[in-house]
Amino acid sequence: MLADDMACNARNEYPAQVFNNENHKLNLYGDNVEVDYRGYEVTVENFLRVLTGRHENAVPRSKRLLSDEGSHILLYMTGHGGDEFLKFQDAEELQSHDLADAVKQMKEKRRFKELMIMVDTCQAATLFNQLQSPGVLAIGSSLKGENSYSHHLDSDIGVSVVDRFTYYTLAFFERLNIYDNASLNSLFRSYDPRLLMSTAYYRTDLYQPHLVEVPVTNFFGSVMETIHTNSAYKAFSSKISNSKSNPEMPLNQLSEHDANIPNDELKNEKQKCPYSQMRADLHKKLEKLENVDTVVNLSIAVMVVVVMVSSSLLR
Amino acid sequence: MDNTDGRNLRSSESWNHAGRPFITTSVLFSFLLGVPFLWKSVEIYRSPLPFHDIDSLSDQIESTPLRFPCNFHAVFVGFRSTDPDNLRSQIQDGINQLTHQNSQCGSCNFSLSVTVQNRDDQCSETLAHSSTTCSYRCGVIKRNVFGVGVDDTVDESLNDVFSGCSEESGKMYSVVVVNKENANGEDEVKAVVGKGRHAWIVGNGLEERYGDMVARVSEIFVKVFMNGGREEDSIQGEFMPVGSDGRIVLSFSLLNSNPRDWVYDWDFQRIDEALLAPVTKALAPIANISVESQVLYHTPKSSFSSWDKKLQSYIFRTSALPFFVNSNEWHLDTSAGASGRSKILQFVVYIPSGKECPLLLQLPNGEISKTNGFISPIWGGVIVWNPGNCDKDSESSSRNTISPQDLEQIVEIFLGQFRQLFGFKSEAFYTSGLGTYKILPSDRGFTEWELDVLSTKHTCFNLHSCSTTLGSLSRLVRSLPRMIIKDEIGEQVKYSLKAAKLAQSNASLGEYSSSASSSREARSLAENAFFHPSIMSVSYFSYEHCFAVYSPFFLPVAGHVVLAALREWKRYKQEKAKYLTWLTRKKTA
Repeated sequence: MLADDMACNARNEYPAQVFNNENHKLNLYGDNVEVDYRGYEVTVENFLRVLTGRHENAVPRSKRLLSDEGSHILLYMTGHGGDEFLKFQDAEELQSHDLADAVKQMKEKRRFKELMIMVDTCQAATLFNQLQSPGVLAIGSSLKGENSYSHHLDSDIGVSVVDRFTYYTLAFFERLNIYDNASLNSLFRSYDPRLLMSTAYYRTDLYQPHLVEVPVTNFFGSVMETIHTNSAYKAFSSKISNSKSNPEMPLNQLSEHDANIPNDELKNEKQKCPYSQMRADLHKKLEKLENVDTVVNLSIAVMVVVVMVSSSLLR
Repeated sequence: MDNTDGRNLRSSESWNHAGRPFITTSVLFSFLLGVPFLWKSVEIYRSPLPFHDIDSLSDQIESTPLRFPCNFHAVFVGFRSTDPDNLRSQIQDGINQLTHQNSQCGSCNFSLSVTVQNRDDQCSETLAHSSTTCSYRCGVIKRNVFGVGVDDTVDESLNDVFSGCSEESGKMYSVVVVNKENANGEDEVKAVVGKGRHAWIVGNGLEERYGDMVARVSEIFVKVFMNGGREEDSIQGEFMPVGSDGRIVLSFSLLNSNPRDWVYDWDFQRIDEALLAPVTKALAPIANISVESQVLYHTPKSSFSSWDKKLQSYIFRTSALPFFVNSNEWHLDTSAGASGRSKILQFVVYIPSGKECPLLLQLPNGEISKTNGFISPIWGGVIVWNPGNCDKDSESSSRNTISPQDLEQIVEIFLGQFRQLFGFKSEAFYTSGLGTYKILPSDRGFTEWELDVLSTKHTCFNLHSCSTTLGSLSRLVRSLPRMIIKDEIGEQVKYSLKAAKLAQSNASLGEYSSSASSSREARSLAENAFFHPSIMSVSYFSYEHCFAVYSPFFLPVAGHVVLAALREWKRYKQEKAKYLTWLTRKKTA
C-alpha cells in the first residue's frame, strides 16, 4: 500500500525510481515491485479489510491477503505517527486498538501462524501496545516520547530519501547472501540507538520461539517450506504393462481402457460438442487452402454483386 | 397568607385547576411522544442470530468427537485348528492397543467379525453383535488364486467377493489371510492392500506364526484402513488444501525458462479428459475441483545449481528448494476463474534453460531424486523436466511438444504430489515394524479406503472449522451492539447450522461421502457469513457516540421542559393545598 506514489510523482526527477541513498546505488522500485493499493485506495478501512479478509466479492485476488494457518506475514508500516496511532493520508488515523482488534480476528480465523510487525514512525512502539494475540512479534523504531528521524537528504531530488530505521534494516540485508542463516536476533541487535537517534524497541512476549533460533528468512525473502516427492504414483504404468503390446500412444490406449470400465458417464463425456466439432473441421479445411487471399477477394466481390442485385430488385 | 413563596398568587377562588399545569404537561407529553419516534429512527437493523444454537453446536463438537461406524471382517483361509472366537478377541485386543483407546474425531466405531475357512472349504465364524446382511459365502475364496497371479487379478476377484457389502451402516473392510502349504516352502509373507476395501496376506506355514498374523491384521485395520497410512498432521490443516468455499483450483503451468534455447508445449486437454477427470470425480464429495493450465515463457529460477562431472549434469540440492520458486518472475496466480476464497494449488513443470540442462535434484544422502520434484504444503508442487537431449544447436527455437509418454510420467509424478498435499504418501507401499504392505495404485489417484479416510478427516475438520467460525462471529456480533447485521448473514448462519446437523447425522449413519459434502457446505456458509464485507468494526459507532451526536439537540430543551414540569407540579400541589384549606375554611365559616 503506497499512499504517495513517489516513483511516479510528477516532481520526481528520476521517474519510476526510488533510491535508498543519495548515491543512487540501489533502486528500491526494482523490476518486480508490485503495488496493490496506491493513492486514494490507501485508507484505514481498506487496510483493515486486507488484514481481516472482508472484501467485497468482486475484489480480485491480487488485492487480497491469501494467507492460511501456516503463513508467516510481514507487516511493515512507515509514515507519521504518534502515541497509539499512525497517520493515513493526512486525514485519518489507525489506532492501536483497531490494529489489535484486526490481529485478534486474524488469529481467530487462523489467517497466520506468525506475524511480524515493523513500524517506523515517531513513538512507534506505542502502536502495538494493545496486541494480545499469540504468535506476533513486533518491533518499532522508537519508544513513547521519542521521535524517529530520517537518514539523510538527497539534495538532487530535494527530499529525505529514507528513514534511519529503514536504512539500517536495508543495510543489514544487503550484507547477507541467499544462503546465510542469519537469525532475527542478529537483525534486532544490529540497531544502534546512537545511529538511529532513537531506541528500537521490540516485544517478544507474544512470540514463542527464541529469536536466536528464528532465521530472518521466516519473514523476509518469500521462502517456502518444501517436502521432496519420493516417487511417482504409478497408476497408469501398471495398466500399460498388463495390456497387449500396442504401438499406439498410451493415452489413446488409456481412453480405450476407460471405456471398458462400467462407467457410462465417461463414455458420454467423450462425445464432443457438435458445434466445436464443426468449427474444428472448418478450421482444418481452411488451413488446407493454399491461397486464402484469393478466396477472400472473390467472396468480397460476390458480396458486392449480391448487394447490388438485391438493392436493384427492391427498388 | 397567600404568598407562600413570594410570588403573586391568584386568589384562591379564581384558581383554575387546569391552565398552567395543563400547558406544561401537554408540552412535556408531546416531548415524551416524540421519544419512541427518535428511538425508532436511530435503531439499527440486526438480523437475529441463533446464538444459543451456535453455542450448543460448538459445545457438542468439543465434547463428543464424531465417530463413524465401520465393520471389520477378517477371513482366515486354509487354517486348520483355529477358533474364531479366540482370534476375534485377540484381534480386538490388538486394535484397541494400537488405537490407545482414544476416540478422537473421525475414528472408527468398529464391529469385528472373523471367519475361518479350513482346507476342506468349511467355515466357522463369529459375527459381530450387529448382524450384517452380507455374510461371507463359504468357499468363495480359493487358495490357488493367491500368489500365482498378478496382484491386479487377485484384487479384481476379491472385489467381486466383497463388493456387495458397502451399503450397510458404515463400510465393510476385509482382510484375507491365506495359508498356503507349498512343497517348496518359501518363507516369504506377502501383504497387499487392494484398491477396494480389502487386503490380503499370503504366506506359507502361517498357522505357526499365528500371533504375528493377528498383529499384522490389527495393523492393517488400524494403520491402513483407519488412518490411511499417514501420520498425524503437525499443524492442523496443513494437509487440508480445500478452500473455504469448498473449491480447489488446480492450476498447471508449463514454464519455459529460456525460450531462446527451446520452447515446449503440451497437449493438456487430452490428459485433462483422460487422466485427470477420474481424479476430480473421485474427490467430488470433498472438494469441487476445477482444472486450468497455462504455458509461460522467460521464467528463470532464482536459486543456483552446480555442475557435477561424474553425473554429467547440473545438480541442485534440497537446501536450495525453499528458494526455487521465483515468485517475482513466475506469474502463476493468474486465474480468472478462482474467486477470492478458493484455494489454488499450483503445479509447475519447469523446463530448464540450455545453460542448466540436465538439471537433477540431489537428496541429502547423495542419491539423485527419481522424480525431480517437490511440494510445498498448501501451495502446490514443482517438477523439473529435462528435455530429451540438452544439445542446444540441434533444436532450433521451433515449438516442440512433450510426448504423450513423458506427459504420462509427469502426470504420475503430479498424482504423487497431489496425494502428498492431502497428507498421503506418494509411494505405493506402507512400512511398519512388522513388515511392508504393498498398496495397489488406483487410476483415480486414491483407493476407496483412502477416499473414506479423506472423507472422515475432512468432515471432522470442516465441522470444527464451522463451529469455531460461528463462535467467533457470535462473539464479534455481541461485542458490537450497534453494528448492522444484514439478513443475508442471518440466513447463512441458519443454513450453516442446518448443514452441520445433517453432516453429524449422516456421519452417525456411516454415510461418509454425504457427510463430507454437507460438512463442506456448512463450513463454506459459515465462512461466507463471517467474511461478509459489512462486518467492519471501524464503520460502526458505539452507544457513547450516538449519545454524543444527539444530546446537543435534545438535552438543553428537554432539560428546560422537564424542569418546568417539575416546578409546575410543585406549584400545583401548593395551590391545591391552599385551595383545599380555603374550601374547608369556607365550609366551617
